[in-house]
Amino acid sequence: MSVLLLARRTIVQFPRNPILLGFSFAPVLMMFLVFGALFEGVTRLPGFPTDNYFEYLAPTAILLTTVPGIGNAAVALASDFQSRYVYKLLSAPISIGSIVLGRLLGDGVRLCAQAVAVLLLAIALGAHVETGIPGAALMILLGTLLGIVTFGVLTANLALRTKDAAAVQAILPMAYLLIFLTSAYQQPEQIDSPVMRIIVDANPAEHVLRPMRELMLSGYDWPHVGIAAAVILALGLIGIPFTVRNYRSVYR
Amino acid sequence: MLDGLERVLDELVQLAPGLDAPDVGTDAIVVERLAKTYADGTDAVRRVTFRVAAGECFGLLGPNGAGKSTTVGMLGTLVRPTSGLASVAGFDVVAQPREVRRRIGFAMQEVGVDAFATARELLVLQGRLHGLRRADSAHRAELLLAMVDLSAVAGKRLGEFSGGMQRRVDLAAALMHLPAVLFLDEPTEGLDPRARVAIWDALERLRTQLGVTIVLTTHYMDEADRLCDRLGIIDRGSIVAEGTPAELKATVGGDTLEHVYLHYTGHTFAPTDGALVALETAA
Repeated sequence: MSVLLLARRTIVQFPRNPILLGFSFAPVLMMFLVFGALFEGVTRLPGFPTDNYFEYLAPTAILLTTVPGIGNAAVALASDFQSRYVYKLLSAPISIGSIVLGRLLGDGVRLCAQAVAVLLLAIALGAHVETGIPGAALMILLGTLLGIVTFGVLTANLALRTKDAAAVQAILPMAYLLIFLTSAYQQPEQIDSPVMRIIVDANPAEHVLRPMRELMLSGYDWPHVGIAAAVILALGLIGIPFTVRNYRSVYR
Repeated sequence: MLDGLERVLDELVQLAPGLDAPDVGTDAIVVERLAKTYADGTDAVRRVTFRVAAGECFGLLGPNGAGKSTTVGMLGTLVRPTSGLASVAGFDVVAQPREVRRRIGFAMQEVGVDAFATARELLVLQGRLHGLRRADSAHRAELLLAMVDLSAVAGKRLGEFSGGMQRRVDLAAALMHLPAVLFLDEPTEGLDPRARVAIWDALERLRTQLGVTIVLTTHYMDEADRLCDRLGIIDRGSIVAEGTPAELKATVGGDTLEHVYLHYTGHTFAPTDGALVALETAA
């Protein structure tokens, strides 16, 4: 129950910070405007999977929303430490785990809503979701969960450890690296190089982006969806012990 | 300020069955050889022992860094003791922290509020986290906002509040679940004299009418003299004297708590002549 109450607080809080709300959409809008204009011609290359470049961009744009966007949860958590509000919350019979989960859940819901907005923008620009609304929902769910178990857990741990919003903000650009090192940004000839292939294959974002792109462009590929789910689950299981360990640093 | 306090407290008294207070005559707080050494080796609290009876107001006086906040932090389950025992309302602070938190309210030295929340939202959330139903929490929030004279700004965000107003919200939040034991770490720091007196009135009435046990730390001797039944003077992590204000004054032969404080802590803040000369030269 406390997790839901704290998640609600997160959802109510976000629109009250217009700068944060505005800039959380900025990278995606720039991607659509700049890349859409620059690379629209690639759709005419032989073998390109779609004739609408925004259709190809949409899954990556969703990841660009969810993965860096979840970092705001950790920044807000660290801000709660700096304002000492977290200790007011902890004077109630709840655990720090509830506070972290409430943050991640609330921001997860918020990111789902933002991802829907991004997808609607792509559709307005002529994109089409091959698998319809269920596929779109699955795509957004995968993108949001990836954000939570990778960057969300990493930055939440950093917030627990440092209790410093500036330290958490410093690491936010790393989220873009996770997405840039996927097949969305690497040309096929680069991916043919063994080093880049290893990097892209080892990148968990690639294994989630692949089924997302298929859901958008071609249809359900359940083996790839299963791999994405397994990657998300594995990362979640790895993150839990680290997070539990860092909980302890909260109680001085 | 605190218009309608009688009405507010009357309504709060009606809600008192939720208080779950220890019986009068028993010890609400038992502290035995409690110690805290931080990771950097600082011995903040050294084997402190004291008891606070149910319904009593116990004050901890001491200089900055004496260990007051660490002591109440340990009793409030926010700081882990290194050794010793402490129980609050019959529950061990280390083994049963949730049970302790259900029964305590905590207003900390550094006010913790959510700048993006309104005063009303913050109080309602605090009540809900203590298990109150939404309607009960909303009703109690209105009563407590009236008690701290903030009803008119209940819908404003806390980021727009002055430090003193935030402190009053923080105090109201600590009372949302009508705790049996209230920890107040310098509760009137930064408040204007009028607000301080009003808070004192509210605390006295909460104690007499609801039987709340209060532990407060303060630098204000007049506050300690007016509110506290007993005092512990803490210095360098140890309690160096304990008793009623009258007993302590009689012991040192002084007529104010300032005498008591200086007698036991031995600290004065008089700059040396050399320092004054250096300051004058610099000016």
